[in-house]
Amino acid sequence: MIGRKASTLGLGILLAVAACGGGNTASNSPSTSQNIGGSVTLWAEWSSSEQQAFKAALVPFTTSTGVTVNYTSKGSTISTALGSAIQGGAPPDVALVPDPGTVQTLAKQGSIKDLTSIVGSLSANYGDAWNQLVTANGKLYGVWFKGANKNTIWYNPAEFAAAGITTPPTTWEQVISDAATLKASGIAPFSLCTDIGWPVADFWQNIYLKTAGAASYNSLSTHATKWTDPTVTSAFTTFGQLVGDPSNLLGGLNGSLSNSYPTCVDKVFPKTGAQPKAAMVFEGDFVANEVKANSATYAPGTTGNGGAACSIDPAKTPCYNFFDFPAPAANAANQGAVQGAGDVAIMLKDTPQSEALVKYLAGPTGASIWATAGGFTSPNKTVPTSAYPDPVTQKDALALVNATSFVFSLDDLQGTWEPMMWQDMLNFLKTPSNVSAIQATMDTQATAGLGH
Amino acid sequence: MAEIGTEATPRARRRAAAVNEGGNPGGGWRDHLGSLAFLAPGAIFLLAITVYPLAATARNSFYDATASNYVGLANYKEIFSTSSILVTFRNNVIWVIVFPFLVTFIGLVYGVLSERIRWSTAFKTIIFMPIVFSATASALVWRTIFDLDPHIGIVNATIQTASDWINPPGLYPVDPSAGQSVAGLVATGVSAGPKDSLESSSTVTAGNPVELGLIGISPATLQLVGAQTAVVPTASPGAVTGLVWRDFSPSNPTARGQVLPDELGFPGLKLTLLRSDGTSAGTAVSDAHGDFSFGSVGSGSYKVQIDSSNFSSGFTGIFWLGTQSLTPTSSLNQTAQALLSVPLVDISMILAYLWIWAGFAMVVIGAGLASLDREVLEAARLDGAGEWQTFRRMTMPMLAPVLIVVIVTMLINVLKIFDIILNMAPGSSQGDANTLALAMYNFGFTGGLGNWGLASALAVILFILVIPAIVLNLRRIRG
Repeated sequence: MIGRKASTLGLGILLAVAACGGGNTASNSPSTSQNIGGSVTLWAEWSSSEQQAFKAALVPFTTSTGVTVNYTSKGSTISTALGSAIQGGAPPDVALVPDPGTVQTLAKQGSIKDLTSIVGSLSANYGDAWNQLVTANGKLYGVWFKGANKNTIWYNPAEFAAAGITTPPTTWEQVISDAATLKASGIAPFSLCTDIGWPVADFWQNIYLKTAGAASYNSLSTHATKWTDPTVTSAFTTFGQLVGDPSNLLGGLNGSLSNSYPTCVDKVFPKTGAQPKAAMVFEGDFVANEVKANSATYAPGTTGNGGAACSIDPAKTPCYNFFDFPAPAANAANQGAVQGAGDVAIMLKDTPQSEALVKYLAGPTGASIWATAGGFTSPNKTVPTSAYPDPVTQKDALALVNATSFVFSLDDLQGTWEPMMWQDMLNFLKTPSNVSAIQATMDTQATAGLGH
Repeated sequence: MAEIGTEATPRARRRAAAVNEGGNPGGGWRDHLGSLAFLAPGAIFLLAITVYPLAATARNSFYDATASNYVGLANYKEIFSTSSILVTFRNNVIWVIVFPFLVTFIGLVYGVLSERIRWSTAFKTIIFMPIVFSATASALVWRTIFDLDPHIGIVNATIQTASDWINPPGLYPVDPSAGQSVAGLVATGVSAGPKDSLESSSTVTAGNPVELGLIGISPATLQLVGAQTAVVPTASPGAVTGLVWRDFSPSNPTARGQVLPDELGFPGLKLTLLRSDGTSAGTAVSDAHGDFSFGSVGSGSYKVQIDSSNFSSGFTGIFWLGTQSLTPTSSLNQTAQALLSVPLVDISMILAYLWIWAGFAMVVIGAGLASLDREVLEAARLDGAGEWQTFRRMTMPMLAPVLIVVIVTMLINVLKIFDIILNMAPGSSQGDANTLALAMYNFGFTGGLGNWGLASALAVILFILVIPAIVLNLRRIRG
């Protein structure tokens, strides 16, 4: 599940519309230039400021095709809403869903349209891993629009400096040793966002990806690898090296179990008037939006505003930065693998208007507009790096596009037993010694949930 | 409909009887057209939004997640063999046993009380008010009230205030409930002493300054109490002198044992000089540079103790919304635990729900009290019954029908309890606080496309469980 917290949006959107409108190269430009008119209904999960940003990203589409987009926000339960609408016989023309598991199910049911010929060469705008997630029986059923990089551990550079840590950790072992250094300097190493299950799952999935590798990860996600597998045990044990010692966690176990997202981010990157209570927080790249919302003084990178040194006090020159989730030294080969998530456009009714919209979403125009507005990363290779507002976001977006292997957030591929998986992960946090029982439970649940 | 005619047919007799009883006057279904026309909208409405969904849910409960393939009793089997789903039954049982009786009792107390106090209208208004708030809003408010952090949750804040008054926290609180330990502060020249104190590792003598290095306390904490750069004290004949300092230098984070220029002293530490037999030879408090001095001590050898009171964290909060069980079940297996433990979060939520519904119980019971026959009560008193006897032997029996209405209404209410759990229990406790209605929602509407089969089976079970309460209520209304 993606934490959905959008950045503040300014007039930048409007400027971006003007700037990006004509910036496409000929090969990527969607053939939506002829004015076809009419309208298209579109569902996605985004509301409030994200909805505004998305609508701004659709303005060039309406301008060039004359097609009115009737957008409805369905919130986080969009997949269920879509399922009901399909059963009821009145689905929207196009929808953006946050889980490829739903795309696969709907494709098998024949409820969504094959986009292979409609998208055509535009599919080359995405890496193979992305297209593979929405391909069923050799046919492409989805077009990715928004991505999220979950390979990011966010840290307060001023706290690292105060603990004498000059370079962020590049191996898991260094994460553990840096945690000890941070504790010695008097700050809690991690603020966990685990009053709910999905952030624990995201954390564990990163560890599984970095210990077992992308092939095992994909195999586990379809339950071809059992949850009782030794690779799973090993990932739990590795995770336990950190969370098994509650002094690594802000507030210990109970503190972690009542630390909600985005409050957990505020503990590391506080609002003006408060002090950081922890040095690191793990979650996807959407953390950056929360940091910037806390105070405009936060500067991306390791230098404060005006070139000053990073300061702990958010009223002065605080900074925020991330490092890539590190693999254990013995598994360095998996270092380039990236876990992420995203929203994918699917077509439920084949009309000229919905075809035009799908092609538009596969191109760089809309994504570039939202990228410039901030709080957005695109898995689309043709979105220029320069569209992103700062070096930290650029690094984040490049990691998403250039990953040696990309895997989708595993919990979002589990369908109906996803909420149970989150509870199991929380149970591990509560009793890290109970690994084998938890693994057995998870395997039973996965069998029931996935039907094999 | 040709039978209308001969008087002798049984059907005609029945019809005639119906007419005599004041049933439908006239004869033939055509005569009913008018009334049918009036009934139709209601009947269609009932069919469309009650009967059809009921039938569809019952059907879906025998089908798979997408409600398209028949799976027999598989969903029911899964429900009764999965411990995380069995937990929902346990929680429903806890709610059903505890809540209706408690809320009725409190309603009765409030009801009796409101009859006897001045300002009873104001009292009743205040007690009744929570019922007009949305349950979701109330749940969110109570989630905050029970928050773990005493800076947020008023319950923990109240306990903390009282606790700090009796047992004030030290300048350098170390919170064991957050996984911290006093022994974790040890860096140079100190080791863990008895009862969360620290003491110098080696013995000290007068005239030889001792250096005690601690880690794990942030510079921000030290600066807050006025810490300055650590300074090694000069030797002073006849006095045990020394330094307690933050043995952590950002410029050299792994170096221990040296007093470096970017290291701070520990001000305000309470220290005791211990003789070899463990008795106190004097006390001292460190200054802003972390220096301390025990003046005019003898020539013996001593140990310097950093008192445990420096590290007392006081009360740091009870996790009211946590899943710690109130019944000892940790030795049992998973299924037995699921069935027998009583998580604290359930009790906290029941308290919040009492706050919401006590007003309703009070108003209904109050109305019942007001309609009691005063003369009977008066007669009882004249016959020499005391207040308690009157209440126990006269008021209660006469009030019983009203009390049962409240209990049954609340029973149905908590059987389908949902919103308070979704909104008040943090996600980390929801697995243990889950109820049938919430599980039904979670299976049906979260997690990809949802598991309609399982959610429908839960709905059917919930429906069956509510039936006895509904029958009881209907009987009461009829009787």
